[in-house]
Amino acid sequence: MEQILVNGLYLGAQYALIALGLTLIFSLMNVLNFAHGQMYVFGGFVTYTVVAQLGLPFIVGLLLSAVVLGVMGALIEKFLFRPVIARSKREESTMLLAAGIAFFLDAVILLLFGEKQRGIPKIVDGVFNWDFRIVIPYDRILIFVLAISAIVAFIMYMQYSKTGRAMRALAQDRVAAELMGVDVKYYSMIGFALGAMLAGLVGGLLVSITGINLGMGGPASIKAFMMIMIGGAGVISGAIAGGFILGMMESVGLTLLAVYGDITYLVIFVMLMIFLSIRPQGLMGKPWG
Amino acid sequence: MENILTFDNVELYYDHVYALKRVSIEVKEGETVALIGANGAGKSSILRAITGLSAIKSGSIHFMGEQINGENAAGIVKRGIAMVPEGRRVFPYMSIKDNLLMGAFTRDDKAEVKNTLDSVLERFPRLRERYKQSAGTLSGGEQQMMVIGRALMAKPRLLLLDEPSLGIAPKLVQDIARSIVAINRDEKVSVLLVEQNSRMALSISNRAYAMSTGSVALTGDSKDLMTDDRIKAAYLGGA
Repeated sequence: MEQILVNGLYLGAQYALIALGLTLIFSLMNVLNFAHGQMYVFGGFVTYTVVAQLGLPFIVGLLLSAVVLGVMGALIEKFLFRPVIARSKREESTMLLAAGIAFFLDAVILLLFGEKQRGIPKIVDGVFNWDFRIVIPYDRILIFVLAISAIVAFIMYMQYSKTGRAMRALAQDRVAAELMGVDVKYYSMIGFALGAMLAGLVGGLLVSITGINLGMGGPASIKAFMMIMIGGAGVISGAIAGGFILGMMESVGLTLLAVYGDITYLVIFVMLMIFLSIRPQGLMGKPWG
Repeated sequence: MENILTFDNVELYYDHVYALKRVSIEVKEGETVALIGANGAGKSSILRAITGLSAIKSGSIHFMGEQINGENAAGIVKRGIAMVPEGRRVFPYMSIKDNLLMGAFTRDDKAEVKNTLDSVLERFPRLRERYKQSAGTLSGGEQQMMVIGRALMAKPRLLLLDEPSLGIAPKLVQDIARSIVAINRDEKVSVLLVEQNSRMALSISNRAYAMSTGSVALTGDSKDLMTDDRIKAAYLGGA
């Protein structure tokens, strides 16, 4: 039992980070970023290249993943989403654009990094073992702590910095934010960059444990969408709740349902459908809080 | 007296339908000027044009002697024009504190911002009582006070108010009218007030423009307009 909880928390922390980036982009720009999973995979490959190919320390890889994806996010917003949002009156346009970017990134990843599963050498050795009730390798503990720190840093930034306040204002009332002097274009770009940066960071964290491969992008996007549907789109607390709930359900399912075959996600999807039919706005459905 | 705002022969269209037909208005330093008229007469369009939310088609807008049409909303706030939008538009899930701080978004002088914050909280003590609560929990009247305070946080030279009495309990409308008068007097800020409540608007302004279908129908000193038969018939409900 304890083991299941620990696994769930470990997964949940990383899921929450992915969901935070997705929900930030959604609330600021009303864009569903279908390419979020691909951004996360790309981040993983950056850390892989830096650590396994170039032999630099893990922390360097992690920071570079965040930086590279942040820059990529800013460019994608400025040169792709901004002109489409300016010219198009239909919301589907940005969805199609996001889906197009997802396929494009898949192709770029294939070209740059190939189709093989990649990982990096263990960053710390050893296993924490509490009487065989909780067994967890030290590197997972480290990754968990890093993920939680990133979540806390993100929340503090959104809550207390001037930029964070401007982004929350923008998400809650676009016109009022503009009247306060918030440059909508600039802050949309910052927000997209920050969301992509979080995705890249999670990719970098995960490559050290489970490794990364080209095929992981699409499913990661779908999981991220599920998390923000559970928690309520556009809310910080919702993204975190959704991340931990999905992580926990996955952990419980993989342990308890294993005897019935690979049905964890079947059960999760059925539960999600029932849940959404009762509470379509999610647990904390309201704009950015 | 110098003109702080000159709005000269402005035309504005929304999707090929005109909202303003060659409208000219001016606000002098220290004045309170009211724009009255029915829904759709173009009052709010004037404010949207000044704040840069809507682009004008022709004409010009000058603020303190400099042309401001064509600038974006952020640049215009920086110049010293703050707006209290129609329907209040609070940031509902942010605390009153954060709402007020958003008002000072374009200012870099941290210490001075603190002083302005203190003076706003002194002016509206209710806001201090509920400082950490989210703005969505305030009553309509309190929200209106808050967004006026939020606009003052920018330390404006010109304050634009769009229908501040709309949806507010009648006895609070008086409080709001009094605050506007006090702000105009204490803060050395000129006021351009858009109101459907013509009686209130005329009673607290120096001059007024009566708008009708996108142009200025009548203009003059507010106390004269108050007794003008045409204004009585069209804007004061014949009373």
